[in-house]
Amino acid sequence: MPLPSSLHRVWRNKALLILMTALVIAVTALTSVAFFVDRVDKAMLLQGSALMAADLLVQQGDAAPSAWERQASSLGLETSRQVLFPSVIFHQDKPVLVQVKAVDGDYPLRGKLLVATEQGMVSTAPAPGHAYASPSLYRALGIGRGGIHVPLGKLLLKAQGEVKQEPDMGGSLFQFAPQLMMNYEDIPASGLLTPASRAQYRFLVAGPADAVERMRRWLASRLPPGAKIMGMENARPEMRMALERGRRFLQLAALCASLLSGIAIMLAARQYVAQAMDGVAVMRTLGMSAAQVLKYHLHELLLVFVLGSLLGIAAGYLGQQALYVLVGDWFGEQLPMPGWRSAGLGFTYALILLCGFSLPALWRIRHIAPLRVLRRDLEPLKVSGWLSWGTATVVFAALVIWQVQDWRLAAALLSLIAVVILLVTVFGWMMIFLLKPFRGKAGGVGIGIAALTRNPGLTLWQLLGFTMGITMLLLLALVRVDLLETWQDSLPVQVPNHFLINIQPGEQMSLQRWFDEHGVKHSGMYATARGRLIQLDGQPLDVNQFEDERARHLLAREFSLGFSDRLQSDNKVVAGAHWKFSPGRPGGFSVEAKLAETLGIQVGSLLTFDVAGQRLRAEVINLRSVAWDSFNVNFFIQGNAGLMADLPAAYISSLYLDEHNTALVVRKLAQDYPSISLLDIRPMLQRVRGIMDKGALAVESVFLFTLLAAALVTLSAVQISRKERAAEIAILRTLGAGRSLVTAAMLTEFGLLGIFSGFLGATLAAVAEQLIADHLFGLEAGLNVQLWLTGMVGGLLGLVLIGFLVMRSLLSTPPVHVLRSN
Amino acid sequence: MQAPDGSLLSILTGVDLNVNSGEAVALLGASGSGKSTLLGLLAGLDEPTAGKIALLGKEMTNLGEDARARLRLGQVGFVFQSFQLLPGMTAFENVALPLKLCRVHNRKQQAEQLLDAVGLTGRADHLPRQLSGGEQQRVALARAFAGDPRILFADEPTGNLDPETGQQIIDLMFSLRDRCATALVLVTHDEQLASRCNRICRLEHGKLMSAG
Repeated sequence: MPLPSSLHRVWRNKALLILMTALVIAVTALTSVAFFVDRVDKAMLLQGSALMAADLLVQQGDAAPSAWERQASSLGLETSRQVLFPSVIFHQDKPVLVQVKAVDGDYPLRGKLLVATEQGMVSTAPAPGHAYASPSLYRALGIGRGGIHVPLGKLLLKAQGEVKQEPDMGGSLFQFAPQLMMNYEDIPASGLLTPASRAQYRFLVAGPADAVERMRRWLASRLPPGAKIMGMENARPEMRMALERGRRFLQLAALCASLLSGIAIMLAARQYVAQAMDGVAVMRTLGMSAAQVLKYHLHELLLVFVLGSLLGIAAGYLGQQALYVLVGDWFGEQLPMPGWRSAGLGFTYALILLCGFSLPALWRIRHIAPLRVLRRDLEPLKVSGWLSWGTATVVFAALVIWQVQDWRLAAALLSLIAVVILLVTVFGWMMIFLLKPFRGKAGGVGIGIAALTRNPGLTLWQLLGFTMGITMLLLLALVRVDLLETWQDSLPVQVPNHFLINIQPGEQMSLQRWFDEHGVKHSGMYATARGRLIQLDGQPLDVNQFEDERARHLLAREFSLGFSDRLQSDNKVVAGAHWKFSPGRPGGFSVEAKLAETLGIQVGSLLTFDVAGQRLRAEVINLRSVAWDSFNVNFFIQGNAGLMADLPAAYISSLYLDEHNTALVVRKLAQDYPSISLLDIRPMLQRVRGIMDKGALAVESVFLFTLLAAALVTLSAVQISRKERAAEIAILRTLGAGRSLVTAAMLTEFGLLGIFSGFLGATLAAVAEQLIADHLFGLEAGLNVQLWLTGMVGGLLGLVLIGFLVMRSLLSTPPVHVLRSN
Repeated sequence: MQAPDGSLLSILTGVDLNVNSGEAVALLGASGSGKSTLLGLLAGLDEPTAGKIALLGKEMTNLGEDARARLRLGQVGFVFQSFQLLPGMTAFENVALPLKLCRVHNRKQQAEQLLDAVGLTGRADHLPRQLSGGEQQRVALARAFAGDPRILFADEPTGNLDPETGQQIIDLMFSLRDRCATALVLVTHDEQLASRCNRICRLEHGKLMSAG
């Protein structure tokens, strides 16, 4: 059939139009989400990249060979070089230990460098012969910001600015020292670095994701021993966790939209088949075989697929663009353009949704008997509920797993669907059973109740549609707010924003008094010592026995071991005994679960550390998860206080300093305790907050599409019964029923459906909230009674409004028209 | 068929009927006498629980649904009380549908001629809902005669029409039948209409009382 006439056919067939509208909205929702998430994702990744000042970073003991630069250049990538090493500078004959960071003119490749100079803020790397100092260096030197000359090796550098923002400020919180940033070209002239020097060379790469990936693969096979590649996955754990949680929220919103769209398609397909039955029977009487009839309708479905996906993808692109215009500026920087992969996804989504959610219903067409032309009551064989739901579930599961690539999230969502079906079926039958005695009641109420109990199958479908719609609305309108607030609350306003390190054991008491005198709140003081893991279960550990890059890296460096008899409040024991120690009991370790997994450590494993030449040996008591984004003092490996004994430990603490007293406290502390280092982590906190806020905004944007899909489900559920309802109203009116009786009947029917759907929806949303909060985000959500109230009142009002709109259009059609068309 | 109490219900019993080529047979009887059931069985739309039925000389007892459909293809026409036009297709497309199924080459021309024969040339592009009842039945008639079927089954074709329009439809149906020499099985409870057929078969409570 030629395309124009095919299009015409779709246009004229009301059922096909409804099906196509469902598909268009589904694809629009999904692709808008995909396009937009793609952009937000890219922006988030860029922010993550900004933490390394690059997309990829190679760290090693020697300068990167020039062949690496040539390869990167051939792949269209930008590169930059850095070297970091400790040195000592003298100021007024006083030695100050500094961390020198030499960067080239291309630094940073990602993120922004901000330096306050006498000429104002600049964001370029220091020129040859010049240097920038960190605020802590200015403090250590005891001078204010300004141009001074700093002798470094054979050079005399002009320090002309204070670094205010630096994308890659150190690899770890505990490696901070006053920093001097200089130009890479000055290194040879300084004479500071010899082949035996303890320097860390970095090779930075940035560019398109696929080229970066190719570069990573290329580098992987050429890495010299001791070198390691760092990508986003190596970025700071607290930042990674914030990104990961943001992504999960987005995925949740996208999944809600796709689930609702699938249900809308299912309902529309059911309607399509119901409307096609008479036509199919005629075709069969005219001699068409079952296969031909199916082919004819598959052809129609193919048209719906092509048109629906094209329109949906186009609308999805426009939709995300509109969203970008609306909220783009909230993201602070330009969002990257979406990739066309999302358009491809649109077609695949459409195909999967259409096949999975409509084919079981369409299959019934094969079984429509030609005798239906004489006996319209003849229904085709019902498709097994298991087949229909089974197919939809399998297809949706595949869609979920493919889209989110997260088994836990998929499992949670699929369990939710199973619960929904079970709950709606059981509850629906109960509702029908309870209402049956009232159907004989006189007036509109009785007629309305009778309408609900007459066709249980139809009522259950509608109940499912409305319940799903209400569940999603509640989940996103109320639960979303609860979850987002809980998430944002996990980073309270007065989160520690400074770390104190290198507190000597003898200083503890006096420092505590100092804090009390100055009204400074701190999170407690934690003993810490640096130790290298040398044995696991009595067996010596060799870096080369591990293939995992992270494991090799972890074993090659020293751990910051924490010592305390209590775990931080954000720690959760996931395996082994709870952390309870008392004097006299044997000591033990608590290990962060992911680290344990990487190194193959289990509860009961015997760990041996080398701490400044002393052996420290104890069993692993438990494994625990750590909320790194809480910014509390946390350790990958923590021993109980008794284990510390004679180890050369220092103490660490974190403080919250507000804007007003920061400068004063910092200056006083430096005067009173010159050996204690104070680290300012406010820039990093700001970034984590930024990611959280932007993540929340993105989720709210995606919510709009879910809202649209929920409205469509509701519309489809109403549409299913529209024909029967129209006939019923026409007959009632023919028999003399007035508008008020018909109105009362409709409002009773929709009102009851609304209340029941609202109750079910609220219950499901509450279950979902608990599941999502607990299992996916590791947050604790309270039970919100308001959910049921909102669900039931909202359901009642919403469906009564829908009922009123449906009724108005049906009442305006003369009964004779309805009866004639039937 | 099974009754609500579980006992077997016989709709038709001992029916022995033969329709010759080109012959017009009326199945006359009150509502519930089994007329439509018999028509469905004769046309191969349904299967009997016992007995044998042959359509166009082909025994249908062992034929499946699809095989019976192939037997009807291009050889059997239908007219129903409720018109049964495809709502998404225009009058022209409805008439052309059987021709298309039979892969008739000049179907456009044939469909136009048929629409002309039923007096609906100007309504070819209209959808069924845009046509009156009488006009819809004319389209149904044109579709029934598309491809020159050998037999036409008509189930109360005037049941939904006013007497005047009904009369026009019947006249049209018989004139087309005469022109194509098509056999006709007409289900009706209208004695006068039945009298226009060559033979009248009366059905009472599922039994063929006379085949005069």
